[in-house]
Amino acid sequence: MSYPTPSTSHLSFDQIYEPSEDTFLILDTLESEQSYILSHFPNKLPIFLEVGTGSGVITTFTHHNILKDALFLTTDLNPHACQAVKQTSSNNGGTKFLDSTQMSLASGMRDHLIDILVFNPPYVPDEIVPDVPQSDDAYEWLDLALLGGADGMVVTNVLLDDLHRIMSKEGIVYILFCARNKPELAVKRLQSLGWYGIKVGERRTGEGLTVYRFTRCA
Amino acid sequence: MKFLTTNFVKCSIKTCDATTESFPLKYTNCELIQSSQDFNPDFILSMLDRLDWSALVKVAQDLGNSALPPVKPEGEMLNDVNLLQDLHTLLLETCITEGEMTCQHCGHIYYIKNSIPNFLLPPHLA
Ligand SMILES: C[S@@+](CC[C@H](N)C(=O)[O-])C[C@H]1O[C@@H](n2cnc3c(N)ncnc32)[C@H](O)[C@@H]1O
Ligand SMILES: [Zn+2]
Repeated sequence: MSYPTPSTSHLSFDQIYEPSEDTFLILDTLESEQSYILSHFPNKLPIFLEVGTGSGVITTFTHHNILKDALFLTTDLNPHACQAVKQTSSNNGGTKFLDSTQMSLASGMRDHLIDILVFNPPYVPDEIVPDVPQSDDAYEWLDLALLGGADGMVVTNVLLDDLHRIMSKEGIVYILFCARNKPELAVKRLQSLGWYGIKVGERRTGEGLTVYRFTRCA
Repeated sequence: MKFLTTNFVKCSIKTCDATTESFPLKYTNCELIQSSQDFNPDFILSMLDRLDWSALVKVAQDLGNSALPPVKPEGEMLNDVNLLQDLHTLLLETCITEGEMTCQHCGHIYYIKNSIPNFLLPPHLA
């Protein structure tokens, strides 16, 4: 990778997901996608949304290196993450517009608003998707970052089903999967909903992480 | 929460999705602060395209500002640096630190605390 990773030395990772292999795969992928992204919105100021922002490293990396002129929005269930992304951005030089919301996925975003969406979801298969903790001090906030229910796809699927509402006409979506998520099935299912998916990033080792890009079928 | 964000968020209850009353939310009991930021007229101009102007006017009124032009500025008006400066101050420098946002369709109230708007729903609504 040639672009630097944003510094997160101001954060502690007791309650926020620490940038990991999956995070770095997304950074690498965005870097290789830079010219595609830049050429995609010649006549408008794009609106970028990171769902489940955690430390905010992906959003900060994007406004720093990939897409300087855009409006940046983030969501997370975790209130600590919602604060962290603002600090991470400003500690790394800031951007013209960034705002952070506590929200499930993109459920409170205006229809057809988002031009670029990035999601590194809780993708680990488990029996459950954890409930949202009732107190800010709870340590279970970290469980929410990892566990994705059956096939690790329960959370991701809710977002996929809402894409047609969330995304603008030329919207681009980047989603991370692990092999156990069976991404080929998600691509097939999305195709029947009018979305074209293609693999644009991959780590062959470990969990078999991939990043897919989805755009509306012409 | 920056003022501009009020133009991007709506009620997060699914059954309110297709309704026109779920956007913009109604803002009450808000505490505002100004936090200064570099003025970049080109950035404001490119942002104008992305705005739902009538929602902007409504929310500005909720917050006690009735000075916005009733229709989105265009043509000659865009050469008016004072107008762009005012929009910069309102959209980018005005932050809501505490307050309430109410859906005009279902009546659900969302809160803004420590500058973060919270759109999470109690489990029975999610
Ligand atoms: C694997 S972590 C990724 C964090 C960060 N984006 C990164 O790449 O380092 C998943 C994040 O999604 C958040 N999350 C889980 N479920 C969510 C939901 N329904 N809506 C929004 N965020 C969610 C978690 O709190 C966590 O911050
Ligand atoms: Zn509502």
